[in-house]
Amino acid sequence: MNVLLIFLLKIISRSIRTLNLGNGSTWPGHLMLFLQPHFISSELAFSKTKVIFIIGTNGKTTTSKLLKTILKKNNFTVIQNTSGANLMNGIASALISNANVNGKITADFALFEIDENIFPLIVKEITPSYIVLLNLFRDQLDRYGEVRTIIEKWKKTVSSLPQEVILICNGDDPQIAYLGSNSNHVVKYFGLDKAESLPSDSFSSDSLFCPKCFHKLTYSVTYFSHLGKYYCKHCSFKRPKVDLTNAIFYPLPGTYNEYNILASELTAKSIGIPNENIENGLKSFKPAFGRQEIIQIGNKKVQIFLSKNPTSFNQSLQTIQKLNAKHILFCLNDRIPDGRDISWIWDTDLSLLNTCPHIYVSGDRVYDMALRIKYEGIKDVTIVQNIEIELTEVLKSLPDNETLYILPTYTAMLEIRKIILGKKIL
Amino acid sequence: MKYNITIGWLYPELMSTYGDRGNILVLQKRAQWRGIEVKILPISFTTPLSSINKIDLLFGGGAQDKEQEILISDLRDKKGTTIKNLIEKNIPSLFVCGSPQLMGNFYEPAVGKRIKGLGIFNVDTIHPENENHRLIGNIIGKIQIPELKNELVVGFENHGGRSYLKDSTLPFAKVIKGFGNNGHDKTEGMIYKNAIGCYFHGPLLPKNPKIADFLLKKALEVKYNKKITLDELDDFLESKAQKAIANKLGTAL
Repeated sequence: MNVLLIFLLKIISRSIRTLNLGNGSTWPGHLMLFLQPHFISSELAFSKTKVIFIIGTNGKTTTSKLLKTILKKNNFTVIQNTSGANLMNGIASALISNANVNGKITADFALFEIDENIFPLIVKEITPSYIVLLNLFRDQLDRYGEVRTIIEKWKKTVSSLPQEVILICNGDDPQIAYLGSNSNHVVKYFGLDKAESLPSDSFSSDSLFCPKCFHKLTYSVTYFSHLGKYYCKHCSFKRPKVDLTNAIFYPLPGTYNEYNILASELTAKSIGIPNENIENGLKSFKPAFGRQEIIQIGNKKVQIFLSKNPTSFNQSLQTIQKLNAKHILFCLNDRIPDGRDISWIWDTDLSLLNTCPHIYVSGDRVYDMALRIKYEGIKDVTIVQNIEIELTEVLKSLPDNETLYILPTYTAMLEIRKIILGKKIL
Repeated sequence: MKYNITIGWLYPELMSTYGDRGNILVLQKRAQWRGIEVKILPISFTTPLSSINKIDLLFGGGAQDKEQEILISDLRDKKGTTIKNLIEKNIPSLFVCGSPQLMGNFYEPAVGKRIKGLGIFNVDTIHPENENHRLIGNIIGKIQIPELKNELVVGFENHGGRSYLKDSTLPFAKVIKGFGNNGHDKTEGMIYKNAIGCYFHGPLLPKNPKIADFLLKKALEVKYNKKITLDELDDFLESKAQKAIANKLGTAL
């Protein structure tokens, strides 16, 4: 039954792509799950494929791509879900498009980035070999609920998994570390080892309180948001001993990417990949779309930094400030994948923006973004009402050899890429 | 004359769920742009009552359930009387998101024991058992405060609790589109003296500068005991942002 359905859905999905109606990253899976609710488990049950889940608020796509590059350098075959298609239908779609003529999955590894809310559901279908737990920040409260609600769900989910599952945890995130320390699984931790604190952005911190006894945590060093070296004065809880603090090679700038790189290297090491291949993998890495992606337009450049919640926004700003950004375009949308609630922009730290001479704002919620900047005390902001028409103007006014740094939310990122590259991605 | 005010901010580390800080920024900047000096006093477990007594304007944001549990006894049992006295003295206050629940008679969570509030507002709040029935979305209403009567207020709401106004408690606004206090009676929030409670969450003031100015004006009037007229500011972006929400909700302004 599956073989026939897979065959049919593959054909339909290919025609859809050819006709440029979309890229079929979700709906073939959606249809399949409607017809065969346990398609995912039946497809993977007798397969030799090792499954790796990547979960966390920020960094899923980049970490998946890093790990995929390393695995491929080691001559493993890898399948993965399309970036952002991280619900059940996205995973089912990935299985459909990667199944062979007999409807079977034969890859060595399946790398799935998993939505925060889907994690408890997907483990009912597949037991992964590894789970990479990156971080947990406030994000789309209207869709995900509070940070505490999510971590409770994750804890329950992890405790329901068999012991062979290996957890790769961010030791610098107290919630993730507590989840690791409380589980019966083999847990490996990654974390930074910098002696000095980085500029704080504490407005967006969510987990400054001990996940065990709820007293305030003490940080000896903070990296960003609530990530750092912490301990609780009240109970015994503290940052665990971490297994990896320095990566072999850093193909991307930004502190947040250091975590993504460490996470992928530690997972690769746990799989048993030799250092040499990890290094080669990291050195050949190209960023995922919209994640620091550089697009060359004549002798000018556009670099896109997906910025979808306070932490990723602050990290993007810090990174582009180091790159001496002179032209920044913010693009704030409030569609369902972005989150309808844009309150989070008030948790961002815009103090770095004072040194940027050319600021543009755009998106569905252009005036909200303009207000956010106004109340930072910055007067000179250009409103871009219609990005499709006016982006060309903005690019024209950009001096030669300059870069326009764009910080968009998710759907704004897709829209801008489509305008620049003239094609649809999802 | 050079004016100055102190704005008290309730437990910024525990009661800042989603952009609540925007309200503080707006109050601070709108005062400073008019030459009014502003001091922000973050109120924590260790803040002495003598400092709280000197506050001219009070703000409280939203807390997650666990955070609420951590702070409620300090807020109610140690600081409650002082805060109530401030409100009785007409000190203007704004409580958004989850904090009005704590300022009412009680809050009954979906799981766990009923939490007694400070009783500033005569309001009861009950969280129904089904957590999935949260009231979420953009909202627009008409303000009921006499000075701002029928001015529009726009924002976003996201709450599980349902609040019911008791006796003659007045609502802060009447809902035009959205859920409001409980999704039934078209009331949104509550007022008592110069204190405003509402379910608008996070950054209420950026798109509603008239409410910010109301709070600042009252703070100065109470402190300096005279009639105050605030200088006009250019609110072009604010009104554009407000209209954008009204259009989104299909309400013509």
